[in-house]
Amino acid sequence: MTPVGRESTFASRLAPGRLALGFLTFIATILIGGFAAAALVRYSPGFDVDEDVLNPHLSPATIAARHAQREVENGLPRFYLRYLARAAHGDFGKSEAFNLPVSELLRHRASISAGLLVRGTLGGLALGSLLAWLSVWPRRLTLELSAVATSGLLLAIPPAVLALFFFFREWPLWLAVALALLPRVFGTARSILEDFYSSPALLAARARGLGSARLAITYVLGPAAPQLAALAGVAVVLAFGSLIPIEGLCDVPGIGQLALKGALARDLPLLSALGLIITSLVAGVQWMGDLTR
Amino acid sequence: MTRPATILLALVVVLGLAAPWLAPNPYDHQFRDMASASPQPGFPMGTDDLGRDRLSRLLYATRVSVLLAPSAATISVLLALLFSALAALPSRLVAWTLSLANGIFLSLPWIFLFIILRSKLSLNTDPLVSVTLTFALMGVAGWAIPGRAFTASIVEMKDAGWLLQARAAGLRPWRIATAHAWPHLWSLALVQFRILIPAYVLSEASLGLLGLGVADPMPSWGNLLRDLQHPDVVQANPWTLAPLALLVLVMICLESLTPSRKAAL
Repeated sequence: MTPVGRESTFASRLAPGRLALGFLTFIATILIGGFAAAALVRYSPGFDVDEDVLNPHLSPATIAARHAQREVENGLPRFYLRYLARAAHGDFGKSEAFNLPVSELLRHRASISAGLLVRGTLGGLALGSLLAWLSVWPRRLTLELSAVATSGLLLAIPPAVLALFFFFREWPLWLAVALALLPRVFGTARSILEDFYSSPALLAARARGLGSARLAITYVLGPAAPQLAALAGVAVVLAFGSLIPIEGLCDVPGIGQLALKGALARDLPLLSALGLIITSLVAGVQWMGDLTR
Repeated sequence: MTRPATILLALVVVLGLAAPWLAPNPYDHQFRDMASASPQPGFPMGTDDLGRDRLSRLLYATRVSVLLAPSAATISVLLALLFSALAALPSRLVAWTLSLANGIFLSLPWIFLFIILRSKLSLNTDPLVSVTLTFALMGVAGWAIPGRAFTASIVEMKDAGWLLQARAAGLRPWRIATAHAWPHLWSLALVQFRILIPAYVLSEASLGLLGLGVADPMPSWGNLLRDLQHPDVVQANPWTLAPLALLVLVMICLESLTPSRKAAL
């Protein structure tokens, strides 16, 4: 497909109807993710414990009346609306395991995870794309085989094992995130580049005698930009998924470690907040990716 | 490359299936006076810190990982086929709901679902329950990936010339679905099945390493990898790397048999 063809496809993705439907899907995903989070907290063990029962100053009738009122207030629909309203203001409740507001915990740890995520994603994208480029552009069998073998080997190793290796060697952990991401980026980037490399437009331009750099920029990187942008979105999501095992095992005090500690301590308010935030983040990235794809 | 990979995979599957006959000891039997023993007659790979035979545990772990990953992949593909079949209906609302459900399942990071599941399970959960839940949840959570491919294929089929021709020829919808649409979907289902197996093998390994997968004493490749958290143990007994070596070997074989790398993302 020519660069112009690609642009028109991209433009059609941004048509108002499609944009609205994508946004509606994004909002619905967050609302349903939020509902699941609220339901988890609402039905967590100990949520219904009524401390009034132990108060000797209250009559049985008062206790019963208060209990009935609480039942109404804590019904799932009302509870959900309250949970969402509080979450919209950044109040996700209090962590049971850490005895601190969840928002405070997230604020402290977000920068550490963000650093790892950004460097890991950029590293993974750069290395994966470079390897994909080397396997497609120079058309050398040895390079292609080496690239495929490297990617295949890295794909076969669990990211957490890779991170442990880096941790014990005291090498930067973002590089482990990048290497875990590399084969995922490589596979898709290679397919995209191969499509453009064999396009009739590029072959015609090459026949006209255009230089390699000009060919690459005009007929490969430019037209492939929307797809590569979508790939970057997916890469963020994949890197985020690898943060939990990497931070958990390598003792990095980020959001991933918080999630793992929350799980081990059965801290449902914390897990629910993280679930809601991650769902929103991933849904947002996917929506953006769908628009550019 | 395909033939050696197939032979190696078949060998690993046979080893896993024959674990009860090949394993020198029960996987959960503790030889209390032999904890962390080096390889020796009777324990070719040594024992773990609880005195359990490493070779027996590796053989049983192979059985768990190589049999249950395809089972989880089957669940995902069947669920995906079931939900995606709704895309054949001439309703925009159904199509949007399907796309929404797909988006939600793709938005929830799998590992987070397992963390929540684990937080709901009691600490002394039966290993059989944990292994079933782990792989069943993998199967259920993973339907969205093949679901997207099936839905796209069904939507494409709705506008296909052969479908119009079949309708014009007076074929009943059931006949069109079974005789014309199904063969196309079946080949796609096989492709998706083969893509999902390595993904699930790797997911189980990551979960097991974190202690969120199959619960002790039942072995899986994932929970056997937990020894890698202690470099001194690895240095003292290099056989602790055997599960990782087997996992990497199986993953490479599965990858070389995987039809489309692009779809795997």
